[in-house]
Amino acid sequence: MNRLLNKKWFSVVFWTLILVVAWETGAFLVAGTKRTPENILPHLYQIIGAAFSTNKVTSDQTALQIVLINAGQTLLRAAIGFLLGTVLGFGLALLMKLSGIVEKIVFPYLMLIQMIPILGMAPIILSITGSINTSRIIIAAILTFYPVATNTLAGFNSVEKEKHELMYIYAANKFTVYTKLLIPGSVPYFFTGLKISAPMAITASILVDTLQGDGGLGCMLSQSLKHAMSIYVFWLIIFFSAFIGIFSSYLMGVLELLFTPQKHAERKKEGK
Amino acid sequence: MNELEEKRNQEENKNVEIRIKDVDMTFQDNRGNEVKALAGINLDIFKGEFISMLGPSGCGKTTLLRMIADLLEPTDGSIRVSGMTPKEIRMQQKFGFVFQQPVLFDWRTVRKNIELPMEIMYYTKADKKQRADEMLEMVGLTDFAEHYPKQLSGGMQQRVNIARAFGGRPEILLMDEPFSALDEFTKEKLHEDLLRIWKQTNKTIVFVTHNIQEAIFLSDRVCVLSPHPGRLSAVIDIDLPRPRTQKMKETLHFSELYGKIRNSFEGGSI
Repeated sequence: MNRLLNKKWFSVVFWTLILVVAWETGAFLVAGTKRTPENILPHLYQIIGAAFSTNKVTSDQTALQIVLINAGQTLLRAAIGFLLGTVLGFGLALLMKLSGIVEKIVFPYLMLIQMIPILGMAPIILSITGSINTSRIIIAAILTFYPVATNTLAGFNSVEKEKHELMYIYAANKFTVYTKLLIPGSVPYFFTGLKISAPMAITASILVDTLQGDGGLGCMLSQSLKHAMSIYVFWLIIFFSAFIGIFSSYLMGVLELLFTPQKHAERKKEGK
Repeated sequence: MNELEEKRNQEENKNVEIRIKDVDMTFQDNRGNEVKALAGINLDIFKGEFISMLGPSGCGKTTLLRMIADLLEPTDGSIRVSGMTPKEIRMQQKFGFVFQQPVLFDWRTVRKNIELPMEIMYYTKADKKQRADEMLEMVGLTDFAEHYPKQLSGGMQQRVNIARAFGGRPEILLMDEPFSALDEFTKEKLHEDLLRIWKQTNKTIVFVTHNIQEAIFLSDRVCVLSPHPGRLSAVIDIDLPRPRTQKMKETLHFSELYGKIRNSFEGGSI
């Protein structure tokens, strides 16, 4: 049993099975309470059925079309914000490493940003920018920025003293120390930051969607409850959002492997 | 007469690569107390020589090595390398340094790690490749050129470390207990490798160790340092013939040298 549990595919199947059983139990219990709407927690097959149903839930779109089109919008904004936040976060980490003064000035603000409920500020950012698209990008960027900046800085600071001394003995200049030692040395930390922030950027984008009826998964979420669309669409969107959140993090893992050939090589060795 | 003496002095000076004069080193500990790490060190190290700094921990042998490498500055006294300050020599990229730990860059292959100093020194691509090939062959890692450090054993990693240090064509190689973390068999093998490479390249090597046998086996001269404060107790010539072989360790002469070194630690044996 233990050996089976150690196999990756087995644990995935195992936990998925447990989730399905828990969900279905819940669905049966909720159905028994006679609440309205009765199917607030529908059976899984109903949700899957909704995904493949050709019935139009609005005037011209099926459930799946709605989800995919709006997911595209949400993801695009999240991706732009994510990229922006990544570039800014990395840049700031670099500045903080380059200058102790910058670090001393900026770091407290960085901590402060972390304490503010950024998502709660979405409405005010919306009223400042006046555009739901810009707000989505800004919120996603702010949420991405913090984990990337702090993790990358931690990565810079994690480089061992001996490695610095080695560069010193060869009289390497600052540029060389950064390009050959600090930046490559911080890559695993940088990607840790990205893995944390990628799903956050998507969540942010979805939540900002709910503020205004201008498309996007979040917007559909609130509409699916208020309007004629079935509860299945609501759950379909929830599942789909969860899926792209997980996928985004996974994608960062794949990117990391591309940028850290040594991990790839180690894995191959372990596989042998 | 005077002229002759001066001339002889100059001759001697030509062969002196590193001149350590009246060097003191004082650190401040956590409580702000001054701790004397080294006191009144005087030593001339000759060109092409293999010299060891031997002593127990706390005798300041690593401190002395780090001062030569310009990683530390003496509190008092002076160090001259080929008549220049350690900083000037460092800026001319004439030092090689081998740490106790391999200090390899995980994200670079073995070949790329060896090429690092050459990259910093702006070798051309062809030069880099040729030199790296030479170094790989010298340490017997040609087949592992495209491996990453984490895929190698400790002994192999240390060989990459040595190849990297030699690759940059240093005038002076400084080694800080490079083999102390390795097992006895790997160590013996690497001793022989190191002596072979040293003979091929004819560099000056300053080797820090706390292992008496290792110091005798490798060196032309062994500097015995005693602790509290660190001071030079004796400099002992090792007149064993070269090339050195493992068999020599079993000779009477080897034991005599061993005993002589042992007894020269101040306060008797350690």
